[in-house]
Amino acid sequence: MKFIIDRFDGKKNYQQTYTVEKKDIEALTLLGTLLFIKQHQDITLNFTASCRMAICGACGVRVNGHSYLGCDTKMTELFEAYKDADTFRISPLANYTVISDLAVDWEPAIENLRKIKPGLVAKDKFSEKEGCVQNQEEYDRIVKQWDCVLCGCCASECNKLSADRSDYMEPFVYTQAWRVANDSRSKDPMIHVKPAVLNGLWNCVHCHECSNRCPKHISSADDIAGLRALAMKKGLNSGVGPAHAKSFYTDLVEDSGRLNEIRLALRTEGVSTALRAGTAITLMRAGKMNPLEIFGGHTIEGHKDLVKMIEAAKAANKE
Amino acid sequence: MQNEFAFFPGCVLTQAAIEAKMSLEAIAPILGIKLKEINGWSCCGASQAQDVDPVATLVANARNLALAEQMKLPVLTTCSTCLLMLRRAKAQLDHGEKERINTFLAKGNMNYKGTSEVTSLLWVLAQNADLIKSKVKKPLTGLKVAVFYGCHSVRPEKDLGFESSVNPTSFETVVKALGAEVVPFAKRLDCCGFHAVYPAEKSVMKMTSSIVNSAAESQADCVVTPCPLCQMQLDIYQDDAQDTTKSKTRVPVLHLSQLVGLALGVSAKKLGLDYNVIDANKLG
Ligand code: SF4
Ligand code: SF4
Ligand code: FES
Repeated sequence: MKFIIDRFDGKKNYQQTYTVEKKDIEALTLLGTLLFIKQHQDITLNFTASCRMAICGACGVRVNGHSYLGCDTKMTELFEAYKDADTFRISPLANYTVISDLAVDWEPAIENLRKIKPGLVAKDKFSEKEGCVQNQEEYDRIVKQWDCVLCGCCASECNKLSADRSDYMEPFVYTQAWRVANDSRSKDPMIHVKPAVLNGLWNCVHCHECSNRCPKHISSADDIAGLRALAMKKGLNSGVGPAHAKSFYTDLVEDSGRLNEIRLALRTEGVSTALRAGTAITLMRAGKMNPLEIFGGHTIEGHKDLVKMIEAAKAANKE
Repeated sequence: MQNEFAFFPGCVLTQAAIEAKMSLEAIAPILGIKLKEINGWSCCGASQAQDVDPVATLVANARNLALAEQMKLPVLTTCSTCLLMLRRAKAQLDHGEKERINTFLAKGNMNYKGTSEVTSLLWVLAQNADLIKSKVKKPLTGLKVAVFYGCHSVRPEKDLGFESSVNPTSFETVVKALGAEVVPFAKRLDCCGFHAVYPAEKSVMKMTSSIVNSAAESQADCVVTPCPLCQMQLDIYQDDAQDTTKSKTRVPVLHLSQLVGLALGVSAKKLGLDYNVIDANKLG
């Protein structure tokens, strides 16, 4: 079978095809296959790996355009996912600058990580003498995000990063911000939430590529939603992103129970921009939307009860 | 075949995607699918409301599911984001949240049991490809189709789980059953950007444009999508998106139900092709 591997020698990109016997690699992992090729066919092939047990995060690569942690992926899984394909395309993680073959530059991502202050800034009540402890429940709340091994699979898949890196950070950066903001020992979650907001928190496109490909089953998309809710709760709620999200909530709870597309555009962008090129206008022009909807839709049956249920949930949350 | 469903239209079908509703209503009886709209369904939160209040969003969807349970029917939706929201809510409820959320539903004398599954039009069609084939009146021979899955019909796989998210096949199965040709399409699993069109407009326009251009490069006559939100993004915003990247390319974008309707011999008018922003009438 064939492996087409994307290569880069520092100057030019090219592809190289390696032919191997299926029997030689079918019991191996993806990383094992790369090592096999390096050992038996081409010593010059470059990639990174260290622990071989899914904890160092060094061995992320793409197969057929999707990210995998090399040492954590059995070849049989790939045969199954791609229906016994006999050719695989292996590429470096996307949304990173390639240094050599499958090895990428982590420096800009680490710079982003620094922005959200991933280290714990402990509450003043903790001291050297008494330590800095938390109970099991508080620990359980953040343990999932502690699993992040910084493999970059989420960042490689992120559709927002692919479109524009200048106003967004790697999904795992938001996950790390969530972890430390939700740590019971943290002095002030906003130390971490604020830089996340200032660095693109509202620009996630909800593609769920990050949560789908994370080898540790972490959902950065959910952590982003969690950080947004926290930001809004703490009063950091101005701008188009918060206004947009809030209008859905308002329609659900305070208005009819259903989304009002016309008012959505107005609420999100404000009247002037909506009149310029907003969705509502386009919809009306296409004859898809009744302009009278601006006065509100028909309230759904049982809406009062829905509000009671939500109020009860809110009250319980406050307790 | 399970042919009766508690239908969850979602806000988009009742408002901005009128043609999706028309075409669905036109094809369902021909395929023998009975859709009974859930009385009093609420917005699913549209992948947005959870940013304000995740518990309220879960409560609203627990209520939506409980309403369907009262009808003793599985839920069917044609909107991929509704699909994801409802399936995620169901998973959360079935894996530990049921009791807590039921104490809130009780305020409106409702109760979530977990008896109704949640499915989509795409999945039902894929499971019944042979039946569809037998109903085709005007095979779409020669029509080159770029199938655009859209995020929330495949990702996250743990919540959707119908098929592989890296190599899904349901959509191709359906389109082939209609007699059309599926063209290789590099962007078929990309995100159209719909959910961030307000906060991240520039990026989203770029994403939309690259999808349209990729379909055109594949010589596709049209893009088809199972998600009305993707359809809206790729169709309504196509002119704007193409202007931002200075591309002259325009490609019609059909709802899955419109494509099915064409093959079943339903008229262009009944399928609402007039309402598509990028001219789709030539396909009818
Ligand atoms: S969140 Fe998951 S995919 Fe992203 S870097 Fe951490 S472990 Fe890797
Ligand atoms: S859901 Fe958001 S963070 Fe995750 S990959 Fe998509 S755009 Fe990136
Ligand atoms: S080699 Fe360490 S995670 Fe794969």
